[in-house]
Amino acid sequence: MEFLTSNTARHNQRAPLALKVTALITAFLFACPAIYLVWRNITSDSDPLKVLFSEQTLSPLMRTINLTIVVTLSAAILGTGLAWLTIRTDLPSRRILKIILPLPLVFPTFVGAAAFIRTLNPGGLANNLVEKIGIEKTLELHGLFGAWLVLTLFTYPYVFLPVAARLKNLASSLEESARLLGDSSWSTFRKIILPQIASSLLAGSLLVFLYTISDFGAVQLMRYDTLTRAIWTTRLNNQPVSFALAVILLTFAALAVIIETLISRRFRKPDTSTQAETVLISLGKWKPIAITASWLVVFLALITPTIALGDWAADGLLREFRGGRPLFIDFEDIIEPTINTAWISMLTALIAAAIVLPVSYLVARYKSSIGNTANAIMTSTFAMPGLLIALSMFFWTLKNSWAAEHLRGTIFILIFAYLVRFSAQALGPARASVASIPPSLEDASQVLGASKIKRFFTIDIPVVAPGLLAGSGLVLLSTMKELPITLLVAPFEFPTLTTKIFQSFEDAFVAEGGLLALILVLLSAVLTWVLVIRRADHLA
Amino acid sequence: MLGIPYEFWKPIDTLSLMKTNHKIILSSFICLAIISASCSSSSNKRAELSDRAAEIVQGDCAKDAGKEVTIYSGRSEYLISPILEAFACESGIDVRVRWGNSTDLAVLINEEGKSTEADVFLSRSPGPVGFLEGNDLLGSVSENVLSLVEEQNHAASGSWIGFSGRKRVLVHNVDQVSPDELPKSVFELTDPKYKNRVAIPGTNGSFEDWFTVFRDQHGNETATKWLNDMVENGAKYYPNNRSIVEATGRGEIDMGLVNHYYNYQEAAALGSEHRAENYDFPSDDIGSLLIITAATVLATAKDKEASNELIAYLLTPQAQAYFSNKTFEYPLAKGTKPNPVLPVLEALEIGSVDFDSLGGGFEETERIVRESGILN
Repeated sequence: MEFLTSNTARHNQRAPLALKVTALITAFLFACPAIYLVWRNITSDSDPLKVLFSEQTLSPLMRTINLTIVVTLSAAILGTGLAWLTIRTDLPSRRILKIILPLPLVFPTFVGAAAFIRTLNPGGLANNLVEKIGIEKTLELHGLFGAWLVLTLFTYPYVFLPVAARLKNLASSLEESARLLGDSSWSTFRKIILPQIASSLLAGSLLVFLYTISDFGAVQLMRYDTLTRAIWTTRLNNQPVSFALAVILLTFAALAVIIETLISRRFRKPDTSTQAETVLISLGKWKPIAITASWLVVFLALITPTIALGDWAADGLLREFRGGRPLFIDFEDIIEPTINTAWISMLTALIAAAIVLPVSYLVARYKSSIGNTANAIMTSTFAMPGLLIALSMFFWTLKNSWAAEHLRGTIFILIFAYLVRFSAQALGPARASVASIPPSLEDASQVLGASKIKRFFTIDIPVVAPGLLAGSGLVLLSTMKELPITLLVAPFEFPTLTTKIFQSFEDAFVAEGGLLALILVLLSAVLTWVLVIRRADHLA
Repeated sequence: MLGIPYEFWKPIDTLSLMKTNHKIILSSFICLAIISASCSSSSNKRAELSDRAAEIVQGDCAKDAGKEVTIYSGRSEYLISPILEAFACESGIDVRVRWGNSTDLAVLINEEGKSTEADVFLSRSPGPVGFLEGNDLLGSVSENVLSLVEEQNHAASGSWIGFSGRKRVLVHNVDQVSPDELPKSVFELTDPKYKNRVAIPGTNGSFEDWFTVFRDQHGNETATKWLNDMVENGAKYYPNNRSIVEATGRGEIDMGLVNHYYNYQEAAALGSEHRAENYDFPSDDIGSLLIITAATVLATAKDKEASNELIAYLLTPQAQAYFSNKTFEYPLAKGTKPNPVLPVLEALEIGSVDFDSLGGGFEETERIVRESGILN
């Protein structure tokens, strides 16, 4: 308990000026899309309040709320369970699971949901298979159930990665003692582990929450009429309503962020983690169940859509061999977008890690309204539809002739737009990690007279790194699949895998789309392994 | 806690290792990117054309004219880029393209306003073009280009011109729908025998265009009643043409109202596994409307002459033959014949409808579709 008091004491210290200024600038830059949105509401005579209380808004809003709650809950449970199994137990094949479990995040939902439908829905590939053994399956994925299933399977990595990172950093000594004292596994989990991972779990769940309210691809294909779909269908023919609905969405997101901040404050308990040896818990008789459960998730979230993608791609390749219509893409058409996708997403993830650190420190270490504001702005922007972020980039760069000439259509503005959209994913896990730096360590090193910089590298970085790495991993995967911003903001002739996939599906070139989507999944697996998982293993 | 100094050399070491590792990967990708970018820079030599573009080009490439046209294209890259490449070769004019969804691009042009980079906008359907015209962002296509198509295939104001067409059809699963069940008119689809069997792409651009014309031709009341009756009859909403054609091919739904184009693609991609076929309503039925894809010159186009030259190229015999033979679309230039595999075109054509007179037509369509409850 003395850690707690020590932490609270730190919390009353005043934050360094440099940190505050950096956070202020970041907050201001990240507010660009929101300011644009408010401005457009004013200039187009939108009336968000009137729109809010119309039938046209209320029922999609209720559907958004329903969907968001169920997806967040199930993704939180799934992500945490899988993280615990792969990090803290002797689950066989946990090494490979660690690499592939985050990957479902890379499916752009418009492809992922289409692939799901192709595999599972009536007349689909799975259906054909079970029909042969005499089962007449009638399951049809659509509506709330379909959207829930697809979104849960595509978003649990938001919880899995940060919680796994946190668990890795957690000393197992307390857990061991609890077990030795005769506590059951569940009560050990609840009393010892849960409080320690709570801030990472909350940060991850918030990302799921925000992702779900902003998702368009899955709800559209699952025919579930949510707020984002209302924003989308009115964007051309009724812009005042579209802008007003977006304000409502953003307000809803900001509320969620504030609530999360308030809750997570109660969990800011440091632990005794250092690089202590983790003792793996033996699953014993639960092993078969645990293996089945985790591979079932892999099967549903990764293999199910991949089967459809593979089927599409194989049809196309076979067709080419049989002398049918050749594929519309050749090797060169694949190489360029693959390279573009790889470097732009790595660069974005790297910069995201750098810019979220100051804000994370400010929020986790000090009582700072600047920090909290910056955190709220950066996090809630994640829920903003990509189209609006893209439009805001044009709005701001065109305000100034220098910017219009030198920034519009450049890589810089593209990366900036990605950062605005996705930094929240690095911020949450980073904040949780900074909060977990044991003050005892800080105090000890202070007494020993270590310089600030030295302290940062010797004490903070090792504790923060896994969480930060996990967060950057999320940014990496999200950037790889980003569509609306890439289409509108990228330089001319800057194809990425996702824009190519979009082009393929737009005109029903499913073979080409399937092939490119498989490459996207493969690339994400390689990058996740090389840049995130292997690193994290080095750190442990 | 006592082991701090001893413990900490190790993580630092691995961290610095990681960084070098990261740099190597990153810089190698950037190098590759630079190499590939320099490879793909366009050139006006016939030998460097892609196979598809080479098939279109007649003769040799022209010398670099020192001009450039920027296109925002809602038509997808696979179908249009060979033609644009061929144009660049034959005219010597450089072409830059921003690809995207027609509606998003129209919204973007509206946001950019006078400072838009777009000279030409290619839209998959007339709706987004009508939106830009309403906001005074369109210039006019020159007279001699307009004269390349029949009068009903360009705007009366001359602000846009059609260059290919996609026909509305009823796609249906051949195992679940027998030929004698097929309706003579879209109006028959409200009959109980089609209960829960029809898919409608309610929020799709070309459906909205179609429904707007439907309202214009048959009156608001009839059109609204038809849609409400369809919903009553269990019509199901799907987000777009492609998803309907795909679902019909699997047998998830029996039939759907779509553009003719997608079934050709799905059949070409999946072969006999795909169990759906197009059915054409009789030519006097609103159900067989032709939706045309439109080209426009922006009011702020930097080089109007080059922009018109590009649009004219879309209507040359070689480009029109490409649309007809490679993308299974209806050519619109006077005197060109559609691909013989396509049903003969006698349909109502969307260009014959005066969009300007519809006044808020699309907004109203959006409202009627939403209030019908089809989206729920």
